[in-house]
Amino acid sequence: MLKTHRDKIIFLCGIALVLILSRFTDSINAYYFQIIIYIGINIILAESLNLINGFTGQFSLGHAGFMAVGAYTSAAITYYIGPHLIHGHSPVGEQLFFFTALLAGGCLAAFVGLLVGVPSLRLKGDYLAIVTLGFGEIIRVIMQNLNFVGGPRGFSGIPFYTTFAWTYVFVIVVIFLTENLMRSTYGKGFLAVRDNEIAAEAMGINTTKYKVVAFVISAFFAGIAGGLFAHYLTYIKPDNFTFLKSIEIVVMVILGGMGSTVGAVFAAIVLTILPELLRTVAEYRMVIYALLLIILMLTRPQGIFGGRIDWTKLGKKLRREKKSS
Amino acid sequence: MSSPLLELRGCTIRFGGLTAVSNLSQSIESGELVGMIGPNGAGKTTVFNIITGVYKPTDGNVLFQGKSITNLQPYQITKAGIARTFQNIRLFQSMSVLDNVRVAFNKNLRTKLFSAIAHMPAQAQEEEDVLEESMKMLQMFDLTSVKDERSGSLPYGAQRRVEIVRALATKPRLLLLDEPAAGMNPTEKVDLMQLIKRIRDALNISILLIEHDMKFVMGICERIFVLDYGEKIAEGSPERIQSDPRVIEAYLGDQE
Repeated sequence: MLKTHRDKIIFLCGIALVLILSRFTDSINAYYFQIIIYIGINIILAESLNLINGFTGQFSLGHAGFMAVGAYTSAAITYYIGPHLIHGHSPVGEQLFFFTALLAGGCLAAFVGLLVGVPSLRLKGDYLAIVTLGFGEIIRVIMQNLNFVGGPRGFSGIPFYTTFAWTYVFVIVVIFLTENLMRSTYGKGFLAVRDNEIAAEAMGINTTKYKVVAFVISAFFAGIAGGLFAHYLTYIKPDNFTFLKSIEIVVMVILGGMGSTVGAVFAAIVLTILPELLRTVAEYRMVIYALLLIILMLTRPQGIFGGRIDWTKLGKKLRREKKSS
Repeated sequence: MSSPLLELRGCTIRFGGLTAVSNLSQSIESGELVGMIGPNGAGKTTVFNIITGVYKPTDGNVLFQGKSITNLQPYQITKAGIARTFQNIRLFQSMSVLDNVRVAFNKNLRTKLFSAIAHMPAQAQEEEDVLEESMKMLQMFDLTSVKDERSGSLPYGAQRRVEIVRALATKPRLLLLDEPAAGMNPTEKVDLMQLIKRIRDALNISILLIEHDMKFVMGICERIFVLDYGEKIAEGSPERIQSDPRVIEAYLGDQE
């Protein structure tokens, strides 16, 4: 019992910390602020993809598609419905409306996740990756041809709602919910599907259902991240959601270590900051970025936080090695 | 007369031109400990795969507690009350021993996805019950000391035991064991024999097992049937099987 309370206390402290910190964000330089927001959005994206690629062991390359659905849906709601609903100045009402729009974006993304998941999750490995890749492209092409959200010109004039507080409250909520799920007996079913599908079936686990559920939850979170993204930039275009974006998220999950929450958070932070730091070397930027990734994967293929790290054992081992040498 | 716990009615399965199991009829009563033996390639594991829904029989029917389970998916059959272990161990290797057992409780969970995500009080209570029951089962198999080890890192004999615990944790009425003693040393085999008997008595379940070690099979099974080239060639008590000329021929070849 003590343990369950501890989790809740950590969760509430996290939320409180975010709210306190949000008081001081006005003084931050706009460039740094933007990076901070992107880090938050990328953490949500990486942690949500972790549900599919890390915990459930499926390979999805369509995460930008779910993000796009969430971004466009919530943006269309705030852009078209917002002006009719919000009369006068009611900041609380406005924030609630934004929250609803984000949830709506998440829900539609989740629904799309269900639509994609049901037929395609009979496929495995490379085949699934290709189907999800195709799905992501379909979403992008649809957005390119929908004129009421700007089509290929992009969707501009989206109200600016995404604040530090919104972004990081969602970061904490997503991490908390995912961790809850993965620690539960229900959640162990996802890991079982990843480790051995035949044995999971023999344990009474409906593997197809678990995979679809992973897709739906993951798509929901990605949709929320998309909504935050749209209401931060205030201008989105289909090119924001190419499969390169999907790959960027996959790289975060793999680099951090499949199925590791700490890893996903860490990788999202590093991979958002790194390209910015490398701006100083101008044209060599992407070369160095790629080289760093290659070196990391060669030296630690399971990802930075991948595999089980048992700190106490590691300590013992180190001591033993010292003695023997 | 009540129907047997499990009944195979004229089950045949063909893979292309090969008839792996041919017209097999076999029943298992409640609480029985039955052995299935036969030379390599006789179709024993295929029979398991038919019972557990991995393969659909080309012909025939499988009935469990009087109801047909022929067209159910493997997970539905487990839910109905049949659990199995695998010939080549299939543990959830990256997970701890305890978590391997916890997975098995999934099919009986009352609190579902949303309470798990939100960590509702009812779910927290159920988690504690699951944990307690898992620990009880691990204790029965003498695995408490390794509960936090990665299951893939355990020695072979312990991995086999974990597989059996995991299967039992689904609370089956019928347990299928595919070569449970394979790769064990003689002492481990004796321990396992006693353990299997004890489980059967304590949990009042039926067990069907495949095993090549004759001392093992003859030592614990009350009834044995023999497969050769997919056909049942003999059935009866261990003594009768040992002296059956067709069985001796199947194993040792013709006397000439």
